[in-house]
Parts: sequence; structure tokens; C-alpha cells
Amino acid sequence: MTRDQWTDRLSEYLDGDLGVAERAALEAHVASCPACEAILAELRRVVARAQAIHDLPPTTDLWPAIAQQIGVSSGGEPHGVVSLAARRARRRLSFTVPQLAAAAAVLLLLGSGGAYLTLQRGTSPVPPPRPRSLEPGREGGRRPPLVGWEKTRAKYDVAVAELESALEQGRKSGRLDSATVRVLDQSLVTIDSAIVQARRALAADPGSVYLNQHLADTMRRKLELLRRASAFAPART
Amino acid sequence: MELTTPGVATLSRDPDEPARGAGDAETADVALAASGDGRAFERLYRAHVARVHSLARRMIGFDVADDVTQDVFVRAWTKLGTFRGEAAFGTWLHRLAINVILARRTSLGTERGRYHDGADVLDAVPSRPVVNDLSLDFQEAIGRLPDGAREVFVLHDLEGYKHEEIASMLGIVPGTSKSQLHHARMTLRKHLDR
Repeated sequence: MTRDQWTDRLSEYLDGDLGVAERAALEAHVASCPACEAILAELRRVVARAQAIHDLPPTTDLWPAIAQQIGVSSGGEPHGVVSLAARRARRRLSFTVPQLAAAAAVLLLLGSGGAYLTLQRGTSPVPPPRPRSLEPGREGGRRPPLVGWEKTRAKYDVAVAELESALEQGRKSGRLDSATVRVLDQSLVTIDSAIVQARRALAADPGSVYLNQHLADTMRRKLELLRRASAFAPART
Repeated sequence: MELTTPGVATLSRDPDEPARGAGDAETADVALAASGDGRAFERLYRAHVARVHSLARRMIGFDVADDVTQDVFVRAWTKLGTFRGEAAFGTWLHRLAINVILARRTSLGTERGRYHDGADVLDAVPSRPVVNDLSLDFQEAIGRLPDGAREVFVLHDLEGYKHEEIASMLGIVPGTSKSQLHHARMTLRKHLDR
């Protein structure tokens, strides 16, 4: 093996990635090669310097902006985040026709779910949400879990998974520009956060009409966001 | 310790295990945050933001590090329900951060020169103003490495991942990871004393 070839193995030697025989051969070479010996010493210093680097916090406090996005109180004003409204103007996406059809079907189901819940509450048209304790109906608005509604949610999960998969493929292929992906990601994260909170609340109170309605509205917002985003580019077939 | 969560690959190390007392407090904060407690999540943010931001800065650059860090914590908030406590929260968050960073760098189109094989890649880069802190200058040199070499160097020499883990994260073979690491080190040795 030539000297250059040994030089290319010095990092592996440092990291203990060479076999016994190669390690011994390299050590013998380095002992007789001042150039490789010097390089090896420098590589050791590089590794030591890297390990000595300390973590530093950001120069500005990012918590207010994060708190705003996840919907919790921060006690301060958000900063450092470009408004989503401004970025949405640049949004450009495309999804397959079957994906959009599935999303549209679930939107209809979600709409039906909302209407079903409204009918169950005995009110029409849909009134603004109100606290669970004020809802009419037996036991302060509590109802048994809705079987049909659960099926709708399952279909929703499938539709969203397909759309998110398409988004991920677009992201990996570079077909989507970075601004588009960032806007969509942040919007989805915000909506997902709301869905997570609604589902947590429902886990504690699965019969709440208000919470079911709120979750349906939030899920519909997510699907509509994905569907609207597709309007910025022709759908693929 | 193994960590497995949906969308977060297995990580067979746990460098972020907090001290026992702090770990108990952090475990409590994770549970509180998972139930929607914003104050508990803010404490987690305060405890880990330096590590996440530093990782983002080194992996993807200073100009987008703030934005990426925000994304990481927002995603962490939404994914807390998937954290099963099989590893330290810091480990889980760190791996989540890497996933977010790698997805972002792809969306930013930073594939250029990803696996540059030249060892003198920094020679053509104009020198920046002199920085008094030598370690900062060294970090600046890290930031100027080609994307692939920088990512491997940061993940291996700064973050402690093995080549097999890095290869899995970056979608390359371990041999490429080793080669990129060596090129990065060979380049950076010229910047040790700047």
C-alpha cells in the first residue's frame, strides 16, 4: 500500500475502525513516515477541537414564537417568524387525482359528521361552539362515543396520510420549493397541535358533543388546507 | 438504550441522560407537557434549546437555525404523545431535530456538492473577517465544508454517532460516511490555528 493510501486510512485508524492486521501495518508505516505522523497528529487535534466545542443558545429568545405556534401563553411578543399569510401567497403544490378525491370524500364525511352532531344536539343551523357545561341534552351534553364518527375519522386518517405521503415525496424530490414546504409544514403543525389537544380532551370526555364538533372542524381545516394548496399547481394523474 | 417512535428512527445511545434529580423533574415536565402544560414545555425548551440550536447551526447554517429550531420544538409539542420514555427526552428530541434538519436541508435544495471528494474545498472560499475566538473560527470552517462532509463531521465528531447510524440517517453507505469524515478532517486541520 502506498503512502497516500495509508493517509486515507488515518481517520479510520483514529476511530478504531481498522482490523488488527491493517492497524499494525499502518502503525509501522507511520513510524517510518514523518508526513503521515504529522497528519495523524493534526487529525487528533481536529477531533479534540470538535469535542471541545460548546453548545450556544440562539441570540434571540425563540420561545415567544414557538408559544404562539403551539397556542400557549408566552408572556412575550413573538418575533423572528415570517407571517404565514405572507408565505401562503407563494404556495405551490400538486397531488394526484385519487388523493384529492379521497380528501374531498372525507371532507364530505366530516361535513356530514358535523351535521349529524348538530342534529343530535337538536339545533340548526350550526351555532357557534359553547362550553360543554352549557350544552343541551342529557347529562350536560355527554353522549356515548359515535361509531359512525369513528369510521369517518379512520377514513380521514387514511386520506391525510396519503396527502402527507405525497407531500413528503414532493419534498424529497425537490419538486416543491422550500418556501412552499415550510409554509405548509408550519400550517400543518399548527393544525396538528390543535387536533392533538382536541383528542386529548376527548380522551377524557369522549361523549362531549362540543369537543367532537371542535375536532371535526379542526380536521376539516387540515384537509381543506391540503386541498387548497393543491390548487396552486395542476394535479398529476 | 433503544429509542423507537413513529417517524423517529432507532438510536442506540443515550448521551443526554440528565442527572437523576434533574431527570425526575424533566420526566415530570415531559408528562405535564404531553397533557398540554405550556409552562412545562417552556422549561423543556429552556433546557434543550442550546443543544438543538447548535446542532441546527452546524448542520444547516446560521441563517436558518432559528427557524429550524422553532420547527423542532413545535413538532416536539405535537409528537410528545409518541414519546414513551424509553430514552432520555433529550435523546428523543435530538433525533427529532436531526430528522427535521435533514428534511429541511432537502427542501432547501442543499444537495449541491453534498459528497465532494476534494480535500481542499475551503481553499477557494474567501476568508472572513478575523474572529478573536479561535474555536469560533474553527466552527466557521466547519460551516464552510460541503454539505455532505459537514453533516458527517458534525454527526460523528461532535454528536457522537457511529458511521452505521449516520449512513442510515443520510441514506448513504458507511464507507461514504467514513470517506466524508476523513475529507472533512483533512480540510479542517488546515484551520486549526486560524
